[in-house]
Amino acid sequence: MAFHNRDKREFAAGLMFIGIGAFFAIGAANYAMGSAMRMGPAYFPKLLGIILVGLGLIIMARSLFMRGEPLPPINWRPLLLVIGSVVIFGLLLEVAGLAVTSILVMLVSALGGWDFRWREQLINGIFLGALNIGVFYYGLGLPFKLWPWS
Amino acid sequence: MSLFHNLVYGFTVALSLQNLWYCFLGCLIGTLIGVLPGIGPVATIAMLLPLTFNLPPTPSLIMLAGIFYGAMYGGSTTSILVNLPGEAASVVTCLDGYQMGKQGRAGPALAIAAIGSFFAGSVGTLLIALFGPPLAELAFEFGAAEYFSMMVLGLMSAVVLASGSVVKAIAMIIVGLLGGLVGTDVNSGVARYSFNIAELSDGIGFVAVAMGMFGFGEIINSLERAHAAGTVEVSEVKGLMPTLDDLKRSFWPIVRGTAIGVGIGILPGAAAVIASFSSYTLEKKLSKTPEMFGKGAIEGVAGPESANNAAAQCSFIPMLTLGIPTGAVMALMVGAMTIQGIAPGPQVMTQKPDLFWGMIASMWIGNAMLVILNLPLVGMWVQFLKIPYRLLYPGITLFICVGAYSLNNSRFDVFVTAFFGFFGYFAARWGCEGAPLILGFVLGPLMEENLRRALLISRGDASVFFSRPISASMLAVAALLLVLIVVPQVRRKRAEVIVEEG
Repeated sequence: MAFHNRDKREFAAGLMFIGIGAFFAIGAANYAMGSAMRMGPAYFPKLLGIILVGLGLIIMARSLFMRGEPLPPINWRPLLLVIGSVVIFGLLLEVAGLAVTSILVMLVSALGGWDFRWREQLINGIFLGALNIGVFYYGLGLPFKLWPWS
Repeated sequence: MSLFHNLVYGFTVALSLQNLWYCFLGCLIGTLIGVLPGIGPVATIAMLLPLTFNLPPTPSLIMLAGIFYGAMYGGSTTSILVNLPGEAASVVTCLDGYQMGKQGRAGPALAIAAIGSFFAGSVGTLLIALFGPPLAELAFEFGAAEYFSMMVLGLMSAVVLASGSVVKAIAMIIVGLLGGLVGTDVNSGVARYSFNIAELSDGIGFVAVAMGMFGFGEIINSLERAHAAGTVEVSEVKGLMPTLDDLKRSFWPIVRGTAIGVGIGILPGAAAVIASFSSYTLEKKLSKTPEMFGKGAIEGVAGPESANNAAAQCSFIPMLTLGIPTGAVMALMVGAMTIQGIAPGPQVMTQKPDLFWGMIASMWIGNAMLVILNLPLVGMWVQFLKIPYRLLYPGITLFICVGAYSLNNSRFDVFVTAFFGFFGYFAARWGCEGAPLILGFVLGPLMEENLRRALLISRGDASVFFSRPISASMLAVAALLLVLIVVPQVRRKRAEVIVEEG
């Protein structure tokens, strides 16, 4: 039986848990361990990290005996553009202000969908962007920088 | 008589103009997101948490609670009219509700769903009022060992009720617990896993994590599905009045559904979903005409709708009385309390009686409002379904960004959201759920704190968890749950329920 017939979903999940568990368990070496009675900052994370690695190993080992369906391809387009628009928001907000950033975020995230029309999304961006500023900036008075020059 | 007294007090609080308005607002938003697929209550509550910063605690929690049970109502509307479950707990309602709609009986189906939900909501509210005080009193006796064991039990039952692999659910909880530990350790002042990043030493805010995992997860998944989906056909609503026969046939399913919902709602996990499925299965078994199920049997709408609403309502019980969240939504409610400077726990009832009783009374008022919002205005909600998703989701993305930023007025939380959006996509792809992770995130610091305190008092002797009777019995139940789930027979039954879910 070739590897591609094994359950890749389980294998990947196991690998992920081993990675996260090892990260925390090894990272705990930087802190004081203490004893069960007086636990140091390293005690609980190290304990959990080791348990997590153990669970990851079980999941991974089990996957070798399971037949899995092939995974569907990753939809990079919505994933990268929607998440990318969030990163853009984080990077631009304090430079370009809420107004410009709002429209830009909406346009980039709209590009992640399947039928993108410039005019429609631009109008939508201006409309919801204005609503957003109305609610959060004027309505709730949250301290945002509004314009690039303000 | 004190129950009566307390409820009257609660109603005077809940009926103040401000509280009524926020209750209404919460129900309105809840109904809206319940109707709209691709955005659920978890992401919405996380997104709107910053809205409550300027509000006093009572109205903000009343509003957030309204969003949660409002979504349960809204979800049933779209299930019946367009065969689209607005959120997970309404999946079952599609089976018979949509068939009724196709037979021109959408009106009675909606009416029965609303009546059932209202009945269940009222019973749920009464139960919280009834069992809240004694439970909170019991909780005052709890020491650190009991709290730790209770959290273990809570997490374990979340695992049992979660869909999918048990091992992976436990692993996700531990990932959450670990994530919750990032930041300054309260006992030693050491900044753990912060890599000299100032924001990380304050810890990772689980609200941002919830927004990323649920908000973006839902958007990306909906975009994948939207690619394949066809057009929606909306059933027409002609006349809302159910016939006398409808009412007679629905009476017992509503009562039984409520009972199931109450029982399951107190337990942690995907309570509302499981409750509605159990109720549907039960009604089908008890029915003299099981062949009618799936072809428009009103019992198949009445039972599950009552069950999911009762479960939604009762999941407030552990949160309000013990301060222990039982699911992602309740975790956010705990977060909202903390933001308001209220430590969740049994003392809330005595120190903040206006919050506790006002919130309970508002749930009943909110349920009544929802009947009005959902029945006569059903035509308006259906119009919202005509908004194409391609115009909706960029707006949701923007609102999540703004919500994340305004948590601490820092870009850092925006990046945390992005990171967990990415992580959530791959975790879901590999069959790992987000809800246990959020639960772990909230409970991580609490568990560590109580573990430390318990072991300090017992001088490092771990047997303290087994020698104290309450703690020992809670751990025993947790162990029993774990054993039960690995028993092949239970496992098969559970898989059955979960397959139906999909």
